[in-house]
Amino acid sequence: MTEQFIWTVALAGLVTLFLKSAFIEGQHYFQLPQWFIDALEFVPPAILCALVIPGIFKGDVGLVREFGSVPIDPKPIAALIAAMTFLATKKTIPTLLAGMASLYLVFWVQI
Amino acid sequence: MPHDPNRQLQSRALQGMRAMTPLLPGIVPFGLIAGFTPVSFGFTWFDAWAGSLLMFAGASQLAAYQLMNESASLWVILLTVAAINLRYLLYSASIAPHLANADRLTRLLAGYGLTDQIYAICHRDYPTHDWDLQERVAYYAGGSCLIWGLWQACTVLGAFVGQIIPVFWSLEFMIPLTFLALALNTLKSRSHQTAAMTGAFVSFAGLTLPYNLGLILGGIAGIIAGVVHQRMRS
Repeated sequence: MTEQFIWTVALAGLVTLFLKSAFIEGQHYFQLPQWFIDALEFVPPAILCALVIPGIFKGDVGLVREFGSVPIDPKPIAALIAAMTFLATKKTIPTLLAGMASLYLVFWVQI
Repeated sequence: MPHDPNRQLQSRALQGMRAMTPLLPGIVPFGLIAGFTPVSFGFTWFDAWAGSLLMFAGASQLAAYQLMNESASLWVILLTVAAINLRYLLYSASIAPHLANADRLTRLLAGYGLTDQIYAICHRDYPTHDWDLQERVAYYAGGSCLIWGLWQACTVLGAFVGQIIPVFWSLEFMIPLTFLALALNTLKSRSHQTAAMTGAFVSFAGLTLPYNLGLILGGIAGIIAGVVHQRMRS
């Protein structure tokens, strides 16, 4: 465990604790403005989508690190199939299974 | 004995646990993922558990480990964690009047133990029951302790399982897949879709920026796009 890791997780924990207990601790002097509450609606779709992108387009999955690279990166295709699975089923576990299965398949057909 | 206060608090705590139980199966796979994905990045099982102990907030834990693996800067990691956890501000504001007179330690623990699930059951059950402060705290504690214990157990179990699973299984890819499912689940309206597509597009355009800044820019651009879209429609 590196010193940088401990700092990062501890600070992330503090940020989380602050957000969770901000109002339970001090509701008398801390009021949320309406524009903030309106904008909060759009934080999950915006940040989650922004977060998916580097996971899909950056770096190499374990398969590639172990067995070498293939012409077409399997991650974007697997993510697309996972997205279609979620839109069809609205269920998370089938989405994860479909995504992982297509990751393996798209890698395997190219070796 | 009609009014044994201890027994009454005990039964409130049990009531909280019972109310929490139907919400538990949903967190099991998520807790396992939060345990084994950090291990697949090369963290130890204890490192993986540290996130669950210190943060106790699933989606932001996954994000923090993914970004640490991508060597993102500390500020990008903290901003992302804050953005994912901003919803707790709303929960906290909504639950605060019910716990306002509790002592300091109780409020701190209640803050730490705040989750989507405990918020859901307390928000539903506090207004419809005539409970005093201690009963409300007992109910909260019962539900929170149950989900906390299960979450910790799932993370540790996931981390140990992750140590055995070979690298080529590519389990770390389940993080973006999980975020993908979570993101698609938030697309309630055209404005939400606009926020999502803008966030993804800007993040993609900024992929080569240093410190994973594209992620933060994408988040901000997406939020602005959603707000503007909604204003224009109404």
